[in-house]
Amino acid sequence: MKQALIIGGGLHGLSTALHLARRGGWRVRVLERRHVGRHSSGVNAGGVRRLGRDLREVGLSVIAAEMWDNLPRIVGDDGGFRPFGQIKLAESDADIAKLEARQAATHARGWTHEEMIDRDEVLRLLPAVSGHVRGAMIVRGDGSANPMRTVMAFRRAAQEAGVEIIEGIAVNGIGTTGSGTLVVETDRGPMQADRVANCAGAWASGLAAGIGEHIPTNAKASMMIVTERLPFFCLPTVGSAARALSFKQSEVGTVVIGGGHQGANDIATETSSQNLMNLAKAARIAAEIFPIVAGARIIRSWTGIEARTPDEVPVIGESGVMPGLFHSFGYSGHGFQLCPAAGAAVAELMAQGSTNMPVAELSPARFQQKAAA
Amino acid sequence: MSVVVVGAGPAGVRAVERLVEAGIRPIWIEESPDGGGRVFQKPPPGFSRDAKALYGADASRAAAIHATVARLRAQVDWRPGTLVWNLRPGPRLLNTQGPDGTKAEVAYDRVILCTGAMDRALPIPGWTKPGVTGLGAAQIALKAQGLAIGRQVALCGTGPLLLLLAWQLTKAGAPPALVLESAGWARTLRAAPGLAWNPVGALRGLAWRAALRRRGVRIRTGALPLRVEGTDKVEALVWRDARGEHRTEVDGVAIGYGLKPETQLADLAGVPFSFDGLQRLWLPERDRAGRTAVPGVYLAGDGASIGGSVVAELAGTRAALAVIEDAGGHVDPLETDMIHRRLWLEARFRAALERAFPYPAEHAAAMPDETLLCRCEAITAGELRGTDAPEVNRGKAFTRIGMGRCQGRVCGPAGAEVLAAARGCDIRDVGRLRGQMPVKPVVMA
Ligand SMILES: Cc1cc2nc3c(=O)[nH]c(=O)nc-3n(C[C@H](O)[C@H](O)[C@H](O)COP(=O)(O)OP(=O)(O)OC[C@H]3O[C@@H](n4cnc5c(N)ncnc54)[C@H](O)[C@@H]3O)c2cc1C
Ligand SMILES: Cc1cc2nc3c(=O)[nH]c(=O)nc-3n(C[C@H](O)[C@H](O)[C@H](O)COP(=O)(O)OP(=O)(O)OC[C@H]3O[C@@H](n4cnc5c(N)ncnc54)[C@H](O)[C@@H]3O)c2cc1C
Repeated sequence: MKQALIIGGGLHGLSTALHLARRGGWRVRVLERRHVGRHSSGVNAGGVRRLGRDLREVGLSVIAAEMWDNLPRIVGDDGGFRPFGQIKLAESDADIAKLEARQAATHARGWTHEEMIDRDEVLRLLPAVSGHVRGAMIVRGDGSANPMRTVMAFRRAAQEAGVEIIEGIAVNGIGTTGSGTLVVETDRGPMQADRVANCAGAWASGLAAGIGEHIPTNAKASMMIVTERLPFFCLPTVGSAARALSFKQSEVGTVVIGGGHQGANDIATETSSQNLMNLAKAARIAAEIFPIVAGARIIRSWTGIEARTPDEVPVIGESGVMPGLFHSFGYSGHGFQLCPAAGAAVAELMAQGSTNMPVAELSPARFQQKAAA
Repeated sequence: MSVVVVGAGPAGVRAVERLVEAGIRPIWIEESPDGGGRVFQKPPPGFSRDAKALYGADASRAAAIHATVARLRAQVDWRPGTLVWNLRPGPRLLNTQGPDGTKAEVAYDRVILCTGAMDRALPIPGWTKPGVTGLGAAQIALKAQGLAIGRQVALCGTGPLLLLLAWQLTKAGAPPALVLESAGWARTLRAAPGLAWNPVGALRGLAWRAALRRRGVRIRTGALPLRVEGTDKVEALVWRDARGEHRTEVDGVAIGYGLKPETQLADLAGVPFSFDGLQRLWLPERDRAGRTAVPGVYLAGDGASIGGSVVAELAGTRAALAVIEDAGGHVDPLETDMIHRRLWLEARFRAALERAFPYPAEHAAAMPDETLLCRCEAITAGELRGTDAPEVNRGKAFTRIGMGRCQGRVCGPAGAEVLAAARGCDIRDVGRLRGQMPVKPVVMA
């Protein structure tokens, strides 16, 4: 049996471990410093979105969308996925033009999931939306899922596939043995492996730096706020073409508002906190688009920490410094939807050194070329 | 120096009073429209009942507190109707929401948190029906509006508030139909030597009991409520005592097993917490003057640890003295010494009370699976037991318990009992829910 160590028990670590174990011939262990789902993967907003993604990751996202539709067959549970659509609103003519240009770009590459809809259709789908809206782009098969339930489903499936998940173990560094294998230094001693995956989220670039590989990321702490329960008025997840907003009503009627507004974070203590001016901004935008929430009360808020790359798409691929080590991090605030597909791609890279999944443009090499230039 | 006092109950009033005496003009923030806090809650304007009827034997203390609030208002930056919904220890800022919903930021160099306490709930099947409320809430309804929660009311709970409320209702002409005290006599008697630390307090309890019995009020000791029955309102309470199970027809039920400090702001401040075995609660750590490990943050009154209104007044004064002292002012050691002695005596009495009237932890742990443990999110005890969460925050992540509008303030302690029992571990090992702002719901900007 070949040995694989996966650093990080977030969704990307779990998904990678699951897919690798299912290939057969691998002993796969996940090393998680806290507990599975402790960081972004357990606390994200649950948006399952192809809509508006960077063109370099649309291909992977499209595969992931198919996997979300089939999630019960992949991990034995649907993760609470509700395909009620994701909508990006146009609030001005300039927004319409921007969305149309975007649609042209995706359609030119053969992807047809993004669809422009007119004002009447927007009002039909979102009766509570403000009258100033001009139109929108929609992906009807997108939606939202339950992050913790998804984490638990991947954990269970991975364990059933033979993955050993070790919680409460911290990785301090990665090295080589000289005999071609890798060694992972942990607070419980060194562990050897043929292949290692670095899925350590906001802490992954620190591990890369430890082997002299510079992959620039900074940590982001996206904030979410939750209102009291309101009468049901909205099924899809809603954003805006020009403004930072993500808006959705949960199954229990509370409204969850985010949109990348940033709080503060502390990588060393693994904590993040809210920035109130930014929160107020999110609340104001939400109320302008859905007047019904204007007087609603906020009952809860939360943040989570995640790594962001300079170009806001993830780093997926083999290390440029240490063969046998594979990076998968820097999902920059939108890696939840990608997890089923990205894990499959990374597992394939680990097992056979190449993959025909569309991750070439996400390789860490893009930063090394820059450094060399 | 900007000094802020949060809360205008007995602790906050005495803190502000002492600060003003030292020449400081604090910002004084209180969520309610007026001062007085919980014990000395005032009826709304235009509603008149005399103080004696409202506050009983404490009428003169109530009058003193209200007079002090009235006198101090002009000497401080008084902000009633204002909620502190967040505290940020780094930049030393509080976030507030005024009566009209406007948000403001208040900078502090030193803040004394006198946030008081709330009812400690014990969920039972049917407890979310209209007509079921907390003991304290029932008392507030009586004090603030002269309202009884029903015509045939059952009071269930433990501790002094139970008999006090029974007595207050009786005097208001609405005697309760049934009083269920969870503590048995054996326990009360065993704690009796300790209760003698405060003979007046202890005797009052005995006097209420005797007076209630004389008026024919049914009091059962060692008795616990099992479930509330009724289709869409309260119709009956099923309960048990040593003699077995009983059913009593009632139209209102008030349940309250002691009090629980409102510690969320201290939590956001980053004050370390430790487990208090007697109260069976996680409490913010502070020294006897109310200082915490967080620079500039002081605690006083029931918001730090349940001690009652007398302790709250003393602790409020003491925390103010600590602020004055830490700011380089002069403090009379005799005064602090006197306060420490009185606090020490009260603490002895308090410990005896806690032993005499403990939270019925086993009853909470054994609540039936179908009990709606978290009423905000409609999560049952069975759902929490069904997870493999090793501690409460993961129980929250798995089930959504404590994610609703009360943020676990109501269901938290009972939920911890359920989880600890299900895991077969000590209550400490399941930890406590981490706090998040806003500490109470705030209106969107
Ligand atoms: C508030 C918020 C909302 C979001 N909303 C969405 C959304 O709606 N849609 C979407 O697609 N994406 C969303 N995201 C992004 C998404 O959550 C992340 O992209 C995704 O979860 C990343 O998963 P991961 O496994 O890479 O990282 P993580 O889940 O952070 O996992 C990394 C794990 O590695 C562990 N670890 C770190 N260092 C070490 C070490 N040295 N040793 C051992 N273990 C270590 C950590 O403890 C952690 O568990 C959101 C993120 C946040 C924070
Ligand atoms: C419902 C109830 C009824 C009670 N009845 C009695 C009784 O009859 N007799 C008795 O001896 N004891 C009673 N107690 C116990 C009582 O709490 C204490 O004896 C005493 O009032 C404690 O004084 P305190 O100043 O610490 O807190 P409190 O009197 O509770 O005062 C705290 C004050 O802080 C304010 N506050 C809290 N959080 C915030 C915030 N975030 N922002 C702004 N303001 C805030 C509250 O509105 C409140 O006015 C009762 C307790 C409760 C909860």
